[in-house]
Amino acid sequence: MYKFLVASSVLMFSTLAVGQELTAGDIIRKAMDHYRGQTSHAQMSMVIHRPDWQREMGMKTWTEGDKRTLVRVTVPAKDAGNGTLSVDGNMWTYTPKINRVVKVPSSMMSQNWMGSDFSNKDISKDTDIIDQYDHELVGNYQQDGHYVYVIQSVPHEEAAVVWGKEVLHIRDDWVMLEQQFWDQDDLLVKTLRTLEIREMDGREVAAVIRMSREGVEEEWTEVRTAAIEFDVELAANLFTLSNLRNPRE
Amino acid sequence: MTLTWRLAWRNLWRHRRRTWLTVGAMVFCNVLLIFLISLQLGSYQMMIDNSLASFSGHAQVQHRDYLEEQRMRQSVPHAAALAASARDTLGLETVAARGMAFALVSSEQRSFGVLLNGVQPAYEPGVSTFPGLVHQGRYLASGDGGHIVVGSVLAQNLKVGLGDELTFLGSGRDGSFAAGVAIIVGILETGMDEIDRSVAQVPLAWFQDVFSMGDHGHTVVVRLPSLEHVPVAVATLQGLVAGQDNLVVRDWDALQPGLRQAITSDMASGWFMYAVLIVLVAFSVLNTQLMSVLERTREFGVMLALGMRPGQLARLVGMETLLMSGLGMAMGVLLGAVLTWYLSIAGFAYPGMEELAAKFNMPGRMYPEVSFLSLLWGPVVVLCGAMLAAIYPALRLFKLAPVAAMRAA
Repeated sequence: MYKFLVASSVLMFSTLAVGQELTAGDIIRKAMDHYRGQTSHAQMSMVIHRPDWQREMGMKTWTEGDKRTLVRVTVPAKDAGNGTLSVDGNMWTYTPKINRVVKVPSSMMSQNWMGSDFSNKDISKDTDIIDQYDHELVGNYQQDGHYVYVIQSVPHEEAAVVWGKEVLHIRDDWVMLEQQFWDQDDLLVKTLRTLEIREMDGREVAAVIRMSREGVEEEWTEVRTAAIEFDVELAANLFTLSNLRNPRE
Repeated sequence: MTLTWRLAWRNLWRHRRRTWLTVGAMVFCNVLLIFLISLQLGSYQMMIDNSLASFSGHAQVQHRDYLEEQRMRQSVPHAAALAASARDTLGLETVAARGMAFALVSSEQRSFGVLLNGVQPAYEPGVSTFPGLVHQGRYLASGDGGHIVVGSVLAQNLKVGLGDELTFLGSGRDGSFAAGVAIIVGILETGMDEIDRSVAQVPLAWFQDVFSMGDHGHTVVVRLPSLEHVPVAVATLQGLVAGQDNLVVRDWDALQPGLRQAITSDMASGWFMYAVLIVLVAFSVLNTQLMSVLERTREFGVMLALGMRPGQLARLVGMETLLMSGLGMAMGVLLGAVLTWYLSIAGFAYPGMEELAAKFNMPGRMYPEVSFLSLLWGPVVVLCGAMLAAIYPALRLFKLAPVAAMRAA
């Protein structure tokens, strides 16, 4: 499930020459392709903000390609040790309180993840945008000396996707600046915005991203990346259920 | 005046059989109306009570926004204590606190999302019929900890039975991870798949612990002896939570808005049938009175010639109608009252109804509602209908010319 967060927060700095002849599909595909096949290890925090309360969680994430993600909560102490493993679209959760691994069923995928503004479905279906959407370059603009592509992605007729369309703003160095989720009645539901971009481990990284629902701006969830390493060596058994239960990290 | 009344009374019995037939029709109509209206009102009462008794109660104390948004943090502080003071203030045992949380429940083999309920085992049976519908095992008891009662369809879906363990994953009130393991002690079957698929109840104290609720709950449910007590109880509860701006008291109408709509639409179709019945009786009275006026044309002519004014004659006819329909009403109400009063004590059941109701832990018999409204509404309208029907025959008297009338055949 964290693939999505990582995909959106990791900046793909490309040394490839970006030509104007790139199609919208190519832009998304290049960004994703660049991201695929890499490994990463990051320290992040998630801040869930509501008008009357706020909650912050620290976590470590490991990814390999776009099919494998492991997340482990580190703080607060009460929640430390909780982990989520996602492999090939399946999701499992481990909770030390009851010492059990539980598979998250597909019926729960539309639920909010840990009370945040991210749903399991948003997160786990990140690569759907390549396979199941048609892309169209609908605009561009200049920002901070960068060229920004605006791409509208509409799911295929038969795609099992909840959104009517998504609108992405992707910078020419492959940073996703904004991702809008529109429902099937063509109303904007929520937006993921990149608030801060920093260089980490030699790449431009979307260090702070914020998801907020349309119309309730005082409620949001931010994912802040404190540190990230790319192309790290990962243990072979990292993305297994037994490691989820008994971390050997 | 008394002379006119006596005259009217005697006139009535000049055609004994005709009068009795008309009175009989009115009595029959009145008894039928009383029976049907009482039964209808009684069945609404039962319908409301049954649907409220199953889970929602007659009134609930909730967080202001809980009904609409159902968020974990929209909770009622000191829920159990509030329920206890509500019990004291209302003088009722049927008050219970509940907590509710959406959780992922899993067995060895399956996982489903459910709305988990934290209930007070000692008081929940007073506010809900579910505890009485435990099919296997037992309901929760005071002192239970990690124990759970689930609906039969949910148990089937999870492929679990008594004694098996279920695990829960969800978010606590503070947003933390909530997780717990509970042993199934009871499986309940309401007969309604929708409910049997979703019910999962654990003790409130354990629930509060697992979901980091502290002493909070999400509602305090109040079940009352009958609907009439609702306004007073709601006012009392409002007094109890007056200091807490976030809390509101919601009555059954706010909790289950569909219920009143169903009743209103059913009532409309009922009233239509009654109106037809009343119109028929009114025509029968019209017929009787018109005949009795027409056959007395010569007599009325004589009376006019003797100096009576047409208005007095019209009043005479009106009095006759009033006496006749008053008689029909008195006998109808008496008979109807005896019948419905008997049924309201003995109950009334269709064949097979008791077996059906037992399955749902509901009362097996319907009890018609005996009240001023149910007893008098029908007969009063019949009486008014009869009086209206007498207007036409009475008006005819104003057209009578004494001499012509006396010579009429």
